[in-house]
Amino acid sequence: MEPLSWSGDIGVFLNPIIIGATVVFAAAFLLNLVLTLAGQRAGEMVINADHSLSLQRGPVDYALLAMRYAVLVFLLTCVGYVIAGMVVADPQRAGIIGAMAAQLTPVWIGLVVLFAVSISFKRRLGLYGKLFDSPIGMTGFGLVMFWIFTAIFVQSIAPHGPIDVISQMRNELPGTPLPSPAEGQFQWYLLGGDNLGRCVFSRMVFGAFEVLKIAPLATLFAFMVGITLGVPAAYFGGKLDIGVTFVANLVLAFPVILLFYLLVAPEIVAAGIPNYLSMILFLFPILFLVILFNARYRTQPGLRNVIVAICIGVGGMAYLSLISNASDPDLPMLFRLWPEALDLFDVPGNLLIVFVSVVFVNSPTVFRIVRGIVLDIKTRDYVAAAQTRGEGPWYIMLWEILPNARGPLIVDFCLRIGYTTILLGTLGFFGLGVSPESPDWGSTINEGRRLLTIYPHPALPPALALMSLVLGLNLLADGLREESLKD
Amino acid sequence: MAFFILRRFGVMILTALCLTFVVFFLTNLAPNLEKLAKTQGNARMSDAEVVSWLDRNGYGGPLIMRYGEWLGVVPGWVRLDAPTGQWRGRCLGPGDTPETAPRFCGLLQGDLGHSTVSDDEVSNIIGGRLALTGVLMFWAFAVIVPSALLVGVLAGMREGSRTDRVLSTFSIGTTATPEYVSGVIFIVLLASSQTGISPLLVQWGWLDGGTLFLGSARSAMDGANFWNFTLPVMTIAFYGMGYIARMTRASMAEVMTAQYIRTARLKGVSFRNIVLKHALRNALIAPFTVIMLQFPWLLTGVVIVETLFNYNGFGWTLVQAASNNDIELLLACSVVAVFVVLVTQLISDIGYVYLNPRIRIS
Amino acid sequence: MTNLSGGTRTTHPVAEMYAREYKAGQMSRREFMVRATALGVSAAAAYTMIGLKPAMAQRVTPPMGGKLRIQMQILALKDPRTYDWSQLGNVSRGLLEYLIEYNRDGSFSGILLDSWEANADATQYTLRVRPGVKWNNGDDFTAEDVAANFVGWCDTTVEGNSMAARMGGLVDSNTGQAREGGVVVVDPLTVQINLPAPDITLVPGIADYPSAIQHRDLIGTNPLDHGIGTGAYKIADHQVGISCRLERNTAHSYWGNAYLDEITFVDLGTDPAAWFAGAEAGEFDMTYETVGEFVDLFSAVGWTQSDVTTGATVVVRPNQLNAPYDNVEVRRAMLEAVDLSVVLELGMNGQGTVGENHHVCPIHPEYAALPPMVVDKAAANARLAAAGHADHNFTLISLDDGLGRFTCDAIAAQMRDAGMTVTREVLPGSTFWNDWLNYPFSATEWNHRELGVQILNLAYRSGVAWNETGFSNAEFDRLLDEANGIQDADARRVVMARLQQIMQEEAVTFIPFWRSLFRHYREGVLNADMHPKFEINVHHLGLAS
Repeated sequence: MEPLSWSGDIGVFLNPIIIGATVVFAAAFLLNLVLTLAGQRAGEMVINADHSLSLQRGPVDYALLAMRYAVLVFLLTCVGYVIAGMVVADPQRAGIIGAMAAQLTPVWIGLVVLFAVSISFKRRLGLYGKLFDSPIGMTGFGLVMFWIFTAIFVQSIAPHGPIDVISQMRNELPGTPLPSPAEGQFQWYLLGGDNLGRCVFSRMVFGAFEVLKIAPLATLFAFMVGITLGVPAAYFGGKLDIGVTFVANLVLAFPVILLFYLLVAPEIVAAGIPNYLSMILFLFPILFLVILFNARYRTQPGLRNVIVAICIGVGGMAYLSLISNASDPDLPMLFRLWPEALDLFDVPGNLLIVFVSVVFVNSPTVFRIVRGIVLDIKTRDYVAAAQTRGEGPWYIMLWEILPNARGPLIVDFCLRIGYTTILLGTLGFFGLGVSPESPDWGSTINEGRRLLTIYPHPALPPALALMSLVLGLNLLADGLREESLKD
Repeated sequence: MAFFILRRFGVMILTALCLTFVVFFLTNLAPNLEKLAKTQGNARMSDAEVVSWLDRNGYGGPLIMRYGEWLGVVPGWVRLDAPTGQWRGRCLGPGDTPETAPRFCGLLQGDLGHSTVSDDEVSNIIGGRLALTGVLMFWAFAVIVPSALLVGVLAGMREGSRTDRVLSTFSIGTTATPEYVSGVIFIVLLASSQTGISPLLVQWGWLDGGTLFLGSARSAMDGANFWNFTLPVMTIAFYGMGYIARMTRASMAEVMTAQYIRTARLKGVSFRNIVLKHALRNALIAPFTVIMLQFPWLLTGVVIVETLFNYNGFGWTLVQAASNNDIELLLACSVVAVFVVLVTQLISDIGYVYLNPRIRIS
Repeated sequence: MTNLSGGTRTTHPVAEMYAREYKAGQMSRREFMVRATALGVSAAAAYTMIGLKPAMAQRVTPPMGGKLRIQMQILALKDPRTYDWSQLGNVSRGLLEYLIEYNRDGSFSGILLDSWEANADATQYTLRVRPGVKWNNGDDFTAEDVAANFVGWCDTTVEGNSMAARMGGLVDSNTGQAREGGVVVVDPLTVQINLPAPDITLVPGIADYPSAIQHRDLIGTNPLDHGIGTGAYKIADHQVGISCRLERNTAHSYWGNAYLDEITFVDLGTDPAAWFAGAEAGEFDMTYETVGEFVDLFSAVGWTQSDVTTGATVVVRPNQLNAPYDNVEVRRAMLEAVDLSVVLELGMNGQGTVGENHHVCPIHPEYAALPPMVVDKAAANARLAAAGHADHNFTLISLDDGLGRFTCDAIAAQMRDAGMTVTREVLPGSTFWNDWLNYPFSATEWNHRELGVQILNLAYRSGVAWNETGFSNAEFDRLLDEANGIQDADARRVVMARLQQIMQEEAVTFIPFWRSLFRHYREGVLNADMHPKFEINVHHLGLAS
């Protein structure tokens, strides 16, 4: 079978268009630059004698107009590749890009549905809806949702398994057909094979799943820890504030990379240090929820008791299942006490460590941000009003102050997921990551880096994927910040 | 002001003590010591032999006492080695006896201890490595600061303009490109004789063999030049500049909407003069603090870049020390790292106070 | 180079027999060289016996002068007896020389020994010291130095002294020291070694990298501390993990020829990608070893390639002291599931020859050809199920880098193909080597040894220090003892065939392939060819003018 070309039959029509658009854009950009340097200004509004306005277009404006249309054509052609790829379906005619687009069909459907619904109801959706007023925010949201949908539909998107090895396919170029495909098996490695003959495209897709499994959840936990400590520290002040701030600064003064080397080393893991850490850190979410509901329903003891009991029961069960693993004989006795029968799930040791370390590193920063915001908000009138109303301090903190701090927190949450993704990549880069065969992006970049100068194709897709996800998160955060400032 | 600095100094010492103790604790956990004994002595030692080896080499006492010895507030251990009849001890060289050697030898006495992997004094090792990293950091900052400020000011002086959009997207892009991504892309593009532009240049006869830039910075340790140092510096600078640029932009944009700028505009001051004479100074207060705080943050970048480009500076030493459990070298590294973090925080605070006329600390 | 080529003793009767066998086509040239020179016949003489021009002549005589940079890991130097990496020997070789050198063609030649010879049953060796050799402190090099080193090598009380194992019967098992009367100084230039039982591995043993010869008063010291040796160079600068610089010792009159003025070893870490980047950046002139895809890459940028086939391999072994690997059926199922040619392709980039799951390499003189092993994934799975371990989760541990890692990934993939559950775990070197003998299922790189029995003695005899498989088999031990006493390789081959069979039947370990080793150097570097044991003798190296 022939190797696939990048754009297949679709390219015959679309490639000239896209090249044309690029050339026009580059030419117009250069022209614009030259004209601006030569002192030409964009046309300005002129008020005519009859009180009407007219815009005098100069050469600069035409150059700008050309750039704008070139970008538009470029984007439309990209959409064209995707749609054509989905319609043609036969990879040999659709090419690598078309075939990838076809594989990603569930993602496109998901994105279209999500955007259609969101845009039509955007006025009723609060801050989220306002996001769709900002092109930057929308782009960022689109990129992030692209990867989230990819992670969700990973099973139907990835043509091969993340650790399926076909030895003849090692280091093969993108679009190489399998030597002897089984019945019903996808017959190509769309982005080529890596140094062990695994499908680069599939590994990149599974990598999205790996990364999005850890990064948002770890960030969420870091926020729960940061909020549970930061809100009371700022609200009560005094010794509590000084103490917690000192500890937070302590962790912040630690060079991140040194901290990771110390925490993730096999010897430290054998000593159970990450388990002790997780024992402390994972207590915070339960504490947070219990206090949250206790403060809210204090006046209705019946309901309060039920909710708090559910929180403690479900949370406690999950907590104990998470931190203990009776079947691992290497762990300290303390973590093997919880009986296997009640152990709902076992998190593999190294995953737990990475998770805990990331939470541990992120929490102090979140704490500082939360503390700063709460210090500001607690001087507001509505807080004073609640105090005179006789509300308890925890109610004020969690139900008066916190909801008003949500804007900056949501923005920081998005940024922080991006930062966590980079951090996970760094761990993979130093070989401290999840597991050796894990398809997570950091590890695959690190592995691909070895042969980079001969075979760039295994390292580049995960690198670009990581970049685009983090870029998306940053743009999303930017959009959210812009829109929330408009309130 | 003096009291403020003094207090900050006190907190700094306390923080440094806590942190070094944490590092000391983690590196001296039982499994780590066992690993040390086995790498230094013999990989096939039995458990009893490990205990006796640790005892003989001064790792036997309680943790807090050993930490004290390392600090130099507790007398160093001495022991008469029965089979050879020689005195051994923390402060003892070969042939010394407890009488001839100093009683204390720790951080306070300026003795950083002994690196087990390199078999050399830590102080001999760490100085040169820090100097190398200093050179790298200097050039990285020499690139980051001007370019980030330029990008930030240009973007922020006309918020929402096309220039702003382009430059902001660029700076967001750089913050989304960590060193291990940009580093590999730079190497592929510029420092490989197989891919990127170097083979093209050779083909066109602009380059006689080899690569445009060097993908390994080992030769930069003896003498840094444009060809061997560009890629490491650019890799650090690329990721580092985005954040400062965005801070500068935000700060500049805020200043540009301030009343006094509006007044100046209404008075007919030219835009160029407004930016240069009125806005710039106030707009640079916030970026200054960010630049200082960037130092510790760049440390991770330095570690990645030094590993990627084989530049044996401080970051590289840190990785080596951590992965080989070279306890005293690692402690020295963390002392340095913590010192850098805390001093930059202090400078950033003081600088903020000096630069900002609205803040006065009594 | 004639002064290097060992002794010119009369030829040995057994060697003459070997020469006849070689001419009759019963023995390869390499086998002949190994066996004849191990008996004390000089390489030149051995070549003459079979009517060939001496291979030593292949080494050219370089012009004097020049500076060379070699990429190699720099580790902390220590007492040579306790060396555990050949890199250590390469650094100190410019200072501390060896009695005998193992050449890349499989022969032995004398360095500090003028010649040596063994009696007919290999129980007595007579070593003749090269006259006129001086230490760089002015002392004469004499038989006393040689004897003192032998005594030092036999000292089992020194932690990590790996020479003791190579001395075999010379060590008195009661005292843990050299046997009374084992090392005899006959005259200032002659030493006699008396062994209680035949031992054919003594000569390979004293040609190995931990056997660097120290001054008689400095046994057990670190050469970096005193700088006294017979070599032409001194260690001018030594920084662990960074570099090491050897300079010609102008205050010392060296007995032989040394060509280069300065040799710098540059440490670029363990990542071959970094080596390649360093090569493209012009940071060194010669690699220590080139691996994997980088072999083609270095050739592509115009470096000269040198390769040698060896008995080096990656041993991927279960440890029988751990369940379920104590069950031979489980081990058999594992071996049955894995196609070793695929492992060679994936793990080694196809650079080598396929192994046979026993640790005797075809280039060993006593190798016996056995029928190929059967690979049957379905049968393997059934066998595993029959043994009651169908749902066992195999955890395969390896280093986080290098050949072992990819070899294990390939084996794991093959086992998964057969329906087994395999988890991979990688550990950094510093952690891995702590416990390498005891992991239930892990991979270890083994270097080349001159004779097949050497490795079996080191790693598969019951209870020996480096027995990482936990293998213990009375018949195997008995046959191995027998083989150790048979000087004639053909006679030994009969016993070896059974030993190899036992390893396969008992499914002791995966021996997936035999590695070819590669090295690259820039044009103009002379005598830098790859050595089967990674040795670099800085005295031979040179640069074309």
